[in-house]
Amino acid sequence: MVALAIVTVSACSSSSTPSPIASAPVASAPVAGTPAPAATPTPATTPKPVTITVCSLLPGSTQSAFDAFNLRVDEFEAQYPWITVQGQEYQWLATTFTAQLAAGTLPDVFTIPFTDGKGLIAQQQIVNIDSRVRALPDADQLNPNLLVNGQDSSGKIFAVPTAAYGMSLTYNRTLFTQAGLDPDKPPTTWDDVRADAQAIAQKDKVAGFAQMATQNTGGWQLSTLTYALGGRMESVGSDGKVTATVNNQYTIAALQWLQQLRWTDASMGSTFDYNWSSINQAFAAGQIGMFLGGSDLYTTLIQNDNLNPADYGITTVPLASVSTAALMGGGTLAAVNVNTTEAQRDAAVDWINYYYLGDMTNQNDAVANAKALQANKQPIGVPALPIFTKAIYDQDQTWIASYINVPTAQMAPFMNSIFTQPLDSEPVASTQTLYSLLDPVVQAVLTNKNANITSLLNAANTQVQAAIDKGE
Amino acid sequence: MMSRVAKWRRGGAPEGDRRIVSVADWRRPGVRRTLRTIHGVTLVFLFIVGMGPLLWLAKSAITPTQDTLRTPMALWPHGFDLSYLVTAWTQTHIDRYFMNTVWIVVGCWLVQITVATTAAYTLSILRPRFGNVILGLVLATLFVPSIVLLVPLYLTVVNVPFLNISMIDTFWAVWLPAGASAFNIVIMKRFFDGLPHEIFEAARVDGAGPFRLFWSVVLPMSRPILGVVSVFAVIGEWKDYLWPLLVLRNPDLQPLSVRLPTLQSSTQLDIFLAALLISSAIPIALFLLFQRMFLRGSGLSGAIKG
Amino acid sequence: MPKRRGMRTWVSRDGLSTLVFLLPLLIIFGVFSWFPIGRALVMSFQETNLVSPPTWVGFNNFVNVLSDPLFGTAVSNTLYFMLLALIFGYPIPLVLAVVMSETRHFKGLYSALAYLPVVIPPVVSVLLWRFFYDASPNGVFNSILGWVGLGPFPWLQDPGTAMPSIVLEATWAAAGGTVIIYLAALLSVPPELYDAAEVDGASIWNKIWHVTLPHLRGILLITLILQFIATAQLFTEPYLFTGGGPANSTTTVLLLIYHYAFQNSLGGDYGMAAALSVMLAAFLGIFTAVYFWLTRSWSTSS
Repeated sequence: MVALAIVTVSACSSSSTPSPIASAPVASAPVAGTPAPAATPTPATTPKPVTITVCSLLPGSTQSAFDAFNLRVDEFEAQYPWITVQGQEYQWLATTFTAQLAAGTLPDVFTIPFTDGKGLIAQQQIVNIDSRVRALPDADQLNPNLLVNGQDSSGKIFAVPTAAYGMSLTYNRTLFTQAGLDPDKPPTTWDDVRADAQAIAQKDKVAGFAQMATQNTGGWQLSTLTYALGGRMESVGSDGKVTATVNNQYTIAALQWLQQLRWTDASMGSTFDYNWSSINQAFAAGQIGMFLGGSDLYTTLIQNDNLNPADYGITTVPLASVSTAALMGGGTLAAVNVNTTEAQRDAAVDWINYYYLGDMTNQNDAVANAKALQANKQPIGVPALPIFTKAIYDQDQTWIASYINVPTAQMAPFMNSIFTQPLDSEPVASTQTLYSLLDPVVQAVLTNKNANITSLLNAANTQVQAAIDKGE
Repeated sequence: MMSRVAKWRRGGAPEGDRRIVSVADWRRPGVRRTLRTIHGVTLVFLFIVGMGPLLWLAKSAITPTQDTLRTPMALWPHGFDLSYLVTAWTQTHIDRYFMNTVWIVVGCWLVQITVATTAAYTLSILRPRFGNVILGLVLATLFVPSIVLLVPLYLTVVNVPFLNISMIDTFWAVWLPAGASAFNIVIMKRFFDGLPHEIFEAARVDGAGPFRLFWSVVLPMSRPILGVVSVFAVIGEWKDYLWPLLVLRNPDLQPLSVRLPTLQSSTQLDIFLAALLISSAIPIALFLLFQRMFLRGSGLSGAIKG
Repeated sequence: MPKRRGMRTWVSRDGLSTLVFLLPLLIIFGVFSWFPIGRALVMSFQETNLVSPPTWVGFNNFVNVLSDPLFGTAVSNTLYFMLLALIFGYPIPLVLAVVMSETRHFKGLYSALAYLPVVIPPVVSVLLWRFFYDASPNGVFNSILGWVGLGPFPWLQDPGTAMPSIVLEATWAAAGGTVIIYLAALLSVPPELYDAAEVDGASIWNKIWHVTLPHLRGILLITLILQFIATAQLFTEPYLFTGGGPANSTTTVLLLIYHYAFQNSLGGDYGMAAALSVMLAAFLGIFTAVYFWLTRSWSTSS
């Protein structure tokens, strides 16, 4: 009795898991490693029913956010009546992704950061969807600089960029005001950031500036700082050989800057083990004055962390006045699981086109999406970088102009100058390993007053180089 | 070993005054005062340590986030709000995850009892020819810490040998591996070894087959040891975190232990603390209801281990 | 003995039913114990990431583990953890049990209070204590200590205090169970021994020292070894409290195994994870062997 009940639940909620009782017409997944037949275009006649699992939202999202998602699923299923879509909570975490990959519990369509695209292509963990994607109406308009993250060496598309972010300096306007600072004039240099952090720490008794340090985010943020000061974490030789350069002078300067805030000014609060989720949560709870976050963070802060919109402000990351200073950017790719049938792959690309891209290229989809979000009081008009050309982006913004409900005035400092900042992509080789090896370095600087930055970075550099050479 | 357990069980309450502090000691005022002080201090200490965190949690579960963050030890500076408990129950679906925990514990218990009783019955009473070899192989696993199995067991569950199916995201992935407990088999077999074999002879003469003997004679006689194994099973699975974290990726199937850390980073503090309170309240209620059984089981487990 | 033989001949006619009774053991142990153990041994000599086919690499995995700078850190952290757990978690339950065994009133209340933390789900305890350990002056513990002019302490946010903080919580969560075990053992001290000591005019302290403790010697040694084995395999607490940080100061051997196997988002190094597991098993195997040798001699002597 017990067993039956449980198994039924699992069959309903995840079709990618083979289970003895299938309650829906679930196409059986082939065993991993079976050579997939060549891709075929979508047939003209109505295809057979097919079910795909897709990522819905982050775990712990509010019910209204899920309602908005379900509304979009209904619309999609109305457009593609033969496809059944099952949403699955999903959050990409470096620390759990490989277990999901090994166990085959990833949804049929899942998202990964730009940094893992090439690696998963090389390991044949995601499907070649080149012909399917190129058949989409606006495929040729995709920003080639972003698309390259999802292509193999010969240019075949395995994954589609769905979102790109530039890092931003996210700040709490209420705390700025309380500290006697002008929230409409956020800092524009790193010295300003330091001074404002000190003011907030003293007046508001919270962290003036906070830094993530766990689950690879410490290395990620340190890289952002390094780029902004003019350094890079890796250099690629003319022969394509990658050399680790995490012990460069700019990274040293970045860590020294953190060291000053932490130990000289004591303006970083008392929590030094933030990860992506917990720093968002602390920010929304008014415990952090400033931190580096993606420009599209507003959605999460509203959906998961109950942010008071009046607190929210973003501006661009200050760039040092050296020619190599750049804004580090990244993004998300949507990919299709190898454990799928041909019909599921067709449906998966239809879903990617509808859910991730359609609202940017198609007026009807854009408006429908905006209406679904509006009905459930979800944020519309959150700043992001264009996936397609800037022209398409601007057009999309005009379609949804009347629906925009985010506090655009509070985002103006960012929007006014983001398109003038030089953008550079994350380190190319062994990116996540590089980040994870730099986590302890950031933690050491933040928790040990006498941390020796140079020797920590030298040791980390050796390990990063070893990882690059091993191809991990 | 079992005799000590039996003695303790028979004894029930401690034997009068024949303990460290004798009646004569107790009569001396100095001793009495000192002892009373020590007992009082101990009681206060236990109260603070045992109840303190729970009382704080109960207070904070109905306190707004900002108050909990800024003045965690103040009693409701800006009032309290019972709605957090309601929200925690409805929004974070504590009920579902608690039921998952219960299913997991019940299933593991069932598998463990089944394997331990049948195995001990075979090895102790039926005694097949290769019994000692099998017993040796079972005993050998006692020397292998469970952590060694983490990765290979995970890969085994991902692709079960011969069947080529994956048990990931089904409760079977937690239930079945739990049965491979050599410790259960050893203590169960020792108990069966100590049962009077004349009874089995008599049952055989009465025409009972091996199944009848197992079900109607051996099992009813082994109630005490079944209790001990059950306490082990329930406590062990209750505490399990890493294994369900690995094999139950689907949120709908996760037990409380796996789900709560995920919720922590994506739920407001007041609601999250309310969720923690609810998660603790249920086992504490069960504990208070069955206190005697819990404590006796734990004491027995010590005696058995000894 | 003849009776047993009689049973066996009776059973030999029922070989099939014997097999049926043996099946649960054979299937469960075969698939979920014997097979994975063998696989762990094989994997420790292979390079495998589940994606490309495994290749034999000899002792490479062991060499890689031993030359990993984190290996030494993890071993010394684990030993440090064991030592702290011994200092915090060993004497307190014993003292509590001795005091509690002598109470005249509210016996049940004492036991219930001591056992309460054991009942709370471990994950709940860790998450709750994580909040208690908030390092700001407004943190729960820092507020309380602030009343008496202490702190604020960094707790989990400092390489020096992170490990003791974790052990403190682990001790809180587990001590109740140990107290109850000791209480049961204390009841098994034969009252005649106390009578005899009383006749000899022994003081209370003398009775504890010369009667109670010697009688508990066996169970004390056994709980010690069990505690060693358990602490070496501790995962939940450091994983949820700190994830091994800050700056690897709480990375234990178990966390390192997990790290090898599951940390890299592009496929784990299962060979290295298996190699480190096998080394840990060999080490703990010694303790386990001692444990069984002791319990055997203990149960035959009493």
